[in-house]
Amino acid sequence: MMTIAEFSAPPSLDHGDAGDDNGPSEFADHPLRAWFASSAMLVLLVDLAMIGFFSLVSRDHVFWSIANALSLLRDGTEPLVLALSVTLLMSAGLIDLSIGANLVLCSVISAMGMQELSAAGLPPPLVASLGFVIALVAGCAFGIANGLIIAGLRINSLIATLGTLGVGSGVALLLTGGQDIREVPMLLQSGFAQARLGFIPLPMACALALALVIWFLLRFTSFGMRTLAIGSNESAVLRAGVAVRRHVIALTALAGCLPGFAGFVDLARYGATTMMSHDEDGLVAVTATVIGGTALSGGRASVIGTVFGAALGLILFSGLIIIRVRPFWQLVVTGVVLIAAVASDQYRAHRVGQH
Amino acid sequence: MPAHRSRAILLVRVALDCEKPFLRHLDDGPQADRPDVPRINIVPTLNAISMQYHCSPAYDTPAKPGRLREMRQAVVPPAADKPSVAIAGEHLAKRFGHVEALIDASVAVHRGEIVALFGDNGAGKSTFLRCLLGLERPDAGRLLIAGRPVKLAKMKDVRAHGVESVYQDLALAPDLSTIDNMFLGREQKIRGPLGCIGVLDRRRMGERADAALKNLSIELPALRVPVRHLSGGQRQAIAVARAVMWATTAVLMDEPTAALGARQSQIVCDLMRNVAQQGLGVLVVSHDLPRLLAVADRVVILRRGRTIVDTAAANLSVPETVSIMVGYHQQNAS
Repeated sequence: MMTIAEFSAPPSLDHGDAGDDNGPSEFADHPLRAWFASSAMLVLLVDLAMIGFFSLVSRDHVFWSIANALSLLRDGTEPLVLALSVTLLMSAGLIDLSIGANLVLCSVISAMGMQELSAAGLPPPLVASLGFVIALVAGCAFGIANGLIIAGLRINSLIATLGTLGVGSGVALLLTGGQDIREVPMLLQSGFAQARLGFIPLPMACALALALVIWFLLRFTSFGMRTLAIGSNESAVLRAGVAVRRHVIALTALAGCLPGFAGFVDLARYGATTMMSHDEDGLVAVTATVIGGTALSGGRASVIGTVFGAALGLILFSGLIIIRVRPFWQLVVTGVVLIAAVASDQYRAHRVGQH
Repeated sequence: MPAHRSRAILLVRVALDCEKPFLRHLDDGPQADRPDVPRINIVPTLNAISMQYHCSPAYDTPAKPGRLREMRQAVVPPAADKPSVAIAGEHLAKRFGHVEALIDASVAVHRGEIVALFGDNGAGKSTFLRCLLGLERPDAGRLLIAGRPVKLAKMKDVRAHGVESVYQDLALAPDLSTIDNMFLGREQKIRGPLGCIGVLDRRRMGERADAALKNLSIELPALRVPVRHLSGGQRQAIAVARAVMWATTAVLMDEPTAALGARQSQIVCDLMRNVAQQGLGVLVVSHDLPRLLAVADRVVILRRGRTIVDTAAANLSVPETVSIMVGYHQQNAS
């Protein structure tokens, strides 16, 4: 245990009234120990325990198989990318419920764009890459719209994105007339969704690379530092001369690109838009992020925790199906884990906060 | 509690002392010498106020007749455009609708000097400070920084002139480390291509932060620990050190000891002295009269938007200051 000295007082001071204000006596244990006590680490342990449990219980240990691992990695891409987007925003104290709508709208716009481009006779590789760019740009635009509402109109992010959730889903349905678009270049599936980088499916490899980039951004750059500072104490950042509104809009633009990417992955994977299956994406992503140890109010973020948190929901869902328990239990268990994670986090924060 | 009783007794003494020669001599009003003017019993008020201002019972020098008049005549020595003036507001006036927050307020802080700005609630201290920071634009009067008249439109302007402030709430981000807090908004980036994408040079920032803290004889355990893990005094010290690190002309402090215990408050007062010794002007708004009277070079008292006293701190005792702040001689006279 490390004792923190008071900042040194000039010698003329009377130290008689000690106990007047003692510094904290414990907080910075060994960094490794701190990491082991972190939420991310706890979630990883739960993940591993679940994997072990399902592997043992499943018939012929099917859960512990390459096929299942691949399927998990494929299924996990979209939830992970969405959770990364939420993590980025939550660092600044913002919540985004509209990512599901953003994903759907981006996949619809991208699919329609690719239809047009194919009809114009462009070669499939070019069509696919342009479709990718369209999805990202659409996501970015969606994010900027969110940012303008949050920072420009000063509307609470929860309400703002609840609004854009409705607008986004509505516009996607209006554009398509409620019918999913099924004409998507085959190349997307063979060249992207089914492709592998070593063992890992290409989309998941991209998602993990994104996680690395976002971790780096938050941890080592001034953009990330300001983002966390806004989540920690916005008025201090304002008084430090930072253009907070501009920063928030840049942040939502960046975070909006991620659902755009997920929308493209969705298209590639199913060869069609899936407009009706993303209603709960926003809440799932918030759950994964909070389970991973990112503070809901901002200021503290754990990207690795988000990765483990996103994995948890997935492992539960697939594991319960494999052991033939009704998968509805996944909702129950995830909910319980969410509450337990936040409770343990608060308990530890409280203990550290007691000086 | 005996302390309370001694305070009450002391205040009665102030009142009695003042009622006889003090008041009539000190007040400039035409009724000052008229015995038929009704006097208001202000002891309960003063008593309540003295609690707020930590009035110490060390009152042993009765006010000398004529003192306040001398002081008031000396009010507002024209700051002139001397280069030694770090920051000054001259004859500032500011009106919010029907409320005249400032009518004629002047404060000048020279380099190397600690000036304490006192005033009762609503006297205009905050508005004055906000004018100096460029958060409000005064209706009349002028601002001087480093001896030259300036116009401030935004908050960034005052920082461009080398004036930094320590806010009452410290304006620290609790989840960020000491280093990050000290460089928030003025981050230093790594040289080379990585710097272009905004990668921070935390080592260099750490060295500079460390030097700035050492400069003020502040020792913190670890500069990379989130600030929320530090004590109130340590956080206050960081806020002061940050202001000093970036200031080149003056540091403005708003209630720097309000949230601190006795020992930590004293440490912060000693910090102020260190800051002034760096050649910066220090303007402190505070209710902590005993400590500020001890550490400040000069005292300016605002009352109802006007500067009513501008004098050396050594000229004033705590009870005198309180009675001037609450304006009880004026109350009596009117």
